[in-house]
This record gives sequence, structure tokens and C-alpha cells, in this order.
Amino acid sequence: MKFKLIRSNKRFLYKGIIVEPQVRDFFTGRIWTRSNTPFHQEKVNAYIQQNYFNVKSGITSQPKGIFLRQSFTCNRCYNQIQHEFVQYNCAKCEKICVYCRHCINMGRVTSCTNLILWNGPLPLKYQKHVLDWDGTYTPAQKQAAQELTESMNNKRSHLVHAVCGAGKTEILFPAVLHALNKGLRVCIATPRTDVVLELFPRFQKVFPNTNIHALYGNAPKQAGFSQLVLSTTHQLFRFENAFDVELVDEADAFPYTIDLALQQAVLKAKKEGAPIAFVTATPSTQILNTVKKENWSYSFIPKRYHNHPLPVPRFEALWSYEKGITRGKIPLKLIEWTEKRLSNREPFLIFFPTIQLMQKAIPLFQRMNEKILSVHAEDEHRKEKVIKLRNEEIPGLLTTTILERGITINNVQVAVVGAESKIFTSSALIQISGRVGRNVQFPEGDIVFFHHGITAEMDEARNEILRLNKEGFGS
Amino acid sequence: MKRNEVENCLLCNSPIDVPVTWKTLLTNEFPRTICLECEEKFEICKTSNEEVTSLYKYNEQMKDYLHRYKFMHDLLLAKVFRYQLHYHLKKTKELIVPIPMHAEKRKERTFAHVDELLNEAVIPYTHLLEKMTTATQASKSREERLNTPQIFQLEQGVIVQQKDILLVDDIYTTGTTINHAKQLLLDAGAKSVKAFTLIRG
Repeated sequence: MKFKLIRSNKRFLYKGIIVEPQVRDFFTGRIWTRSNTPFHQEKVNAYIQQNYFNVKSGITSQPKGIFLRQSFTCNRCYNQIQHEFVQYNCAKCEKICVYCRHCINMGRVTSCTNLILWNGPLPLKYQKHVLDWDGTYTPAQKQAAQELTESMNNKRSHLVHAVCGAGKTEILFPAVLHALNKGLRVCIATPRTDVVLELFPRFQKVFPNTNIHALYGNAPKQAGFSQLVLSTTHQLFRFENAFDVELVDEADAFPYTIDLALQQAVLKAKKEGAPIAFVTATPSTQILNTVKKENWSYSFIPKRYHNHPLPVPRFEALWSYEKGITRGKIPLKLIEWTEKRLSNREPFLIFFPTIQLMQKAIPLFQRMNEKILSVHAEDEHRKEKVIKLRNEEIPGLLTTTILERGITINNVQVAVVGAESKIFTSSALIQISGRVGRNVQFPEGDIVFFHHGITAEMDEARNEILRLNKEGFGS
Repeated sequence: MKRNEVENCLLCNSPIDVPVTWKTLLTNEFPRTICLECEEKFEICKTSNEEVTSLYKYNEQMKDYLHRYKFMHDLLLAKVFRYQLHYHLKKTKELIVPIPMHAEKRKERTFAHVDELLNEAVIPYTHLLEKMTTATQASKSREERLNTPQIFQLEQGVIVQQKDILLVDDIYTTGTTINHAKQLLLDAGAKSVKAFTLIRG
């Protein structure tokens, strides 16, 4: 009787080290600084010595241009903006080193730090994923979901353009399930932490058998290998060549649209040739151009899931509101609007262009009703305040643009103060208008742009909403 | 010095709009590195005694700054206080001596933070001391700090006799660091020892 020798892959023969599943699961697809891992330094060094990692320098420089000036590239965030690189006298190397300020919040990367990429065996993939969702699709949603799944299956990139409140998240479910069951690794990325926090429990609920990780700044440690990753686009700096399918939600949000490095990060996190899908209510011209140029497939949903038209914003002049608020007086129209909301017991959101103006306004509003609160990006209790509004513990919130997307509150009424400000672009205004009337029971609501002169952006937002309504309802 | 050395605020990254005046064109003062809003958040320290002068209080903004500068190693932030440091230290007649770091610690951080602050402020300094332990003050409790034995020694071959000395450090909390250095220098025969810190905790 002959014994057949079982040959394992030559690269992963026993080399004096048994690969720990924790190490393997953590590092697969990740690019990490060598000295700052969650594991012991000696352990990591041993793995590196056995070639389980590819090591590369943190920052590479190349001569560029006619004068052959040194041009730096950060290997983690792919930043190439030269003034964000700082040269300094390194006490460790005793020569001039360079570091990148662009991704310094994730720990400094210098030309003398090593970045490590996993090169060892891949984790075993769990392949019995279940979709536990008993909702129903509208015909438009169903079609978009099918189109998306098909595109992902054929490795073709895709754009889903759906109005606010069309039920975009549900459209992703079949595509994600299909990819997971094929053993592919899926990433859902978005520029906003709030969106990750909102999506995470929803995905955990509908994919009960899947280990899902949610990654954002200061996220808690999560164990095991996750085949489905929900992440902010910033956290994708820490991935390279990792995902087989990538879905970018709210792809038009700040800062993704203006930060080239973030866009690069999204591309480098996926494997070569892997499909990417953008899901948004307000695609920028840049995205629309790529769709045309690279011949992506495209789904369009002009209707909300409850089959009611989008609320159309109305314009109200609120002359010299800034002066008035600075002097301690809210303009009369705004008082009337707020009091009407208070007497009707409708929750409301009032958007302000700057934090400074909002902070001047909040004591004035609290004179009307002391429970009114304000919220901005650096607010620690941001999550709790939104929940309070949802539970009708407080009558309304003053906010900056951070609440422009990704939040759903029943029967909310919205006012924008200073809609002519630069920060309220047409896409921001469309998103803000999209907060209103998202629930079947309350499909309508008031959306007012209080302004000090109408801008082209305001007109554009209104016209786009009218156009979408026309396309959806043909009238 | 380059005029447009820093385009955006080093702390909050919003653009700095400073109008160009005759003064900025004709004098050689440092260009701005942080925006007005960020600067206002730093609290100026008013209480100071003869021995120790401090510029700022330790508040949230300062905590954030120190974290980014010392622990996230954002060396460029040494420029933030260069104008204030230059203004306060340019006319001192005493010998300026920064509190040193242990060589190993310096390698780990890749720079000596007090030295870099002074470099950016264009203030000349001399090293007279050497730190002997690698333990940091921040890792100890107040009791432990007050009871630590001498943590400095004189560098070899330096003479401090009859010299007026100004010690410079980033932060003054319990005063242990400064007191150790002061005691050592006085014992070695220095005429007077004063201290200057950026922050008072």
C-alpha cells in the first residue's frame, strides 16, 4: 500500500512558527505601522522574519519635474500634496526624515517607519450567510437591487442614484448577501461616522450569522475576521488590496469630494479589478463623468418608497438675520415659524451656516422653549441629542450641516437659516430637504430656506427636486 | 523667512486670512501659524512668581495641543508658539538651559520637544544637564513625584560657577523637575537659577 504525500502550499510550510488565527485575522487586508500593532513587538518581528509580512517604507520619494525636485508620497494615505510633508532632523536615524501630516491622526508615518502587509495564509471564510429581512421592495427598488447584484456579479462598477428616502440601504442587501455567499470580502464605506453608526445595527440585524466590523475613529476593538466591513472612508487608509466588492454610500458627502487622498484610499482598499458601487442621492458631476467615461451601469430611482413626491422647499426672505441674531433678536418670521412648530407639537430642525452663529442663537431660542438644544460636529452628546429629538423628549434642535444626511425623524419640519451661505451647496440643500416627509404616515412637511438673497445654488436645488418629482410622477 | 510658510491653521486646518500691512512687509516678524479662533482658546496664565514664569494655563485646547505635539509627534506644531517664546526670551541676559531628555527617550520620540520649541523661536541655548532616568513624570502620582531622588546630573566638563541661569521646560506641574535641576545647579555654584515654562498645569 502506498502512502500519498499531501503537499501543502510551499510558501506556507512550517517555518518554526504556527500562525495564530488572531494575527492572521487582524492583518489580512490591512496595512499597519510596524511599531504600533495590537500585538507584542517581538511577536510581530518574528512573523516578519519568517516572511509572513511584506514590509515597505512609510514614505517614498521620487525626483519629479524639470528640476528633479524630491516629490514625496505617503504609502498609507497616498497623499501627494507636498506642503503636507514635513522634513525634520530625526534623532533616531540622525539624518533628515520626512513625515506625512495628512494621516497623522492615525499615528505618525515617517520615512523611517515600516509599514507591514500580511503575506501569509488567508483566513477561512464562513459561507452560510443569511439575510433576515422581511420587508418588501417597491418595484423601483427591486429593479435597482437586481441591477446592482448583477453588476457586482459581472465585476462591473455601478451607480445607484436614488432620491432621499427611497430606501437606499435596503437596495444593498441582496448584493451584499450574494457577494458574501460567494466567499468575497465586502466593504461598505461612507465619508460620515454618523452613517456608519446608523448602518451598523441595521446590518447586524439583517445579517445575523455574519461577523461585521464597524470602523471609525476611536472605534472599539473587534475580534475575528470580518467578511463584511462597515467603515468610514478615512479608515480605509489602513487597508490595501483587501476587498472584492466595495460599496460607497453617500459618495458625494464632504470631505470625500474634495480630498483626493480619500478617493485614492477607496480605490487602493479594493483589489485590482474589483467592482465598486456608489450609492447617493446627489451625484456630483465628477461622479457622473466617471460613470459615463468608464461605462458603468446605472440605476435611477426618482420616487420615495412611500410613493409620495419630495417636499419642495420654499424661499422666505430673512433680511439681515445675522445682524439681528448678533444683537440678541431673532427675526420675526423665524420666531413665527418656530412657535407654530411648538404649538403644533412637531419636531423641528433648524440648520445654521456656522457654529458661531448657532451659539449666539441658542440662548435666544431657549427663551421660547428651554428644552431646545443645539448640536455640532465637536459635540460629545451628538448621538444622544438626536435620539432625544426622535423620542420627542425635546421639541427641536439647532444644528450645523452635520445632520444634513443619514438621519430619519418622523414628521420633522426643517428650516435653513442663511441658505445663501457658501456652505449650503445645492447637494447639501437637496439632502437637507430630503429629511422631511420620510415616513409613510407623515409624507409631507415644511421645508423653508430663510435667506438674505437667493443664490444660484438654492435655485439649482429647488429645480432638481422639481425635476425629480416630474420624473417620478410624470406631471 | 517665507511669508506663506503656513497657509492653513496648523491646528484646525481652516485658511488663515491675514491682511498684508506695511508692518508685515517691512518688519521681520514671524508669520501667523494658527487662526484667531484657535489662538483665543489658549488661556494666558496671569499668576507668576519671581522664580517661575509661565505663559499659558493648561486647558482643553492646551491638552489637545500637547497631545498632538508630544505624543502624536507632530513636530511642525513647534512653530505655534514661536512668536510668544521669541518675544519673552529674546532679551534675557541669563544663560538659557532647556530641560534635557534621556537619550533613549529622545530616540523614541525622534526629537527633543523643548529644544525644538526654542529652535523655532530662534533662541540660542546651551545644554548643561543630563537626564539619568527614563521614567516620565507624567506616569507618577503626585506623592511619587515629590519623593523622587535627583534625576539630573551635570554634563561632563561644564562650569556653572557665577552664572545666571534660566531653565526652560514645556510644562510646570508639581515643580519636581525644575526643583531638581535648580538644586543641582545651585549646588554646583550657579549664582542664580530661574525658570520659564510654556504651560502651568
